[in-house]
Amino acid sequence: MDEADLGLRRRTYAFLVEHGRAPGAEELGDPDDVLDGWRRLHAEHAIVLNPATDELRMLNPFSAVPTAYRVAAGARWWYGNCAWDAFGICAALHTDGRVETSCPDCGETLTVEIRDERPDDESLLFHCLVPAERWWDDIVFT
Amino acid sequence: MNLFRSEEHISRWLGGRKPGTTIPVTKLSELAHAWWDDRLSPDWVPHTRDQNMAILDRLGLTGEFWTLP
Repeated sequence: MDEADLGLRRRTYAFLVEHGRAPGAEELGDPDDVLDGWRRLHAEHAIVLNPATDELRMLNPFSAVPTAYRVAAGARWWYGNCAWDAFGICAALHTDGRVETSCPDCGETLTVEIRDERPDDESLLFHCLVPAERWWDDIVFT
Repeated sequence: MNLFRSEEHISRWLGGRKPGTTIPVTKLSELAHAWWDDRLSPDWVPHTRDQNMAILDRLGLTGEFWTLP
């Protein structure tokens, strides 16, 4: 990953944090150049594109599209790609926050306040279905 | 990668599928903070596999399931 692509990645994440949404390629420069860079970053697992549209799908730990993991942090609402990423949004922003989701089994609303990096409800469990070796085989499923 | 109320809910959700692994939400929070803490840093560069494995090892997330490719 060269300095130009690292710079594009920085600008992409900075746009997300400033505006609360992922940018379109045309909002960061020449769309063809930006898309080429995003494709290289996607190949390096630094971002995730929607393969059908070339739009941003994940700026991990943030999701560029709505998900079951909503996170209130830094005076905004965000979406996480999964439970790990939802907690990761507070980590990346270096702030406390609140994760809202529902139990995939019963649909019960689950709300977790994160203060000083610790969840207020310590009884909840995190289940990871896919082993680490295969996380990037299908990162959206993972 | 989901949150659940209890082991009973996980088992029911899995149905007949092979389970992955389950950790307490407190461990998840430790993992998330160690893994994503630097993601918005201007100096961020991709973690190496060894760096990520070191995070997992430090948190006791070891064994075949947690071994990165």
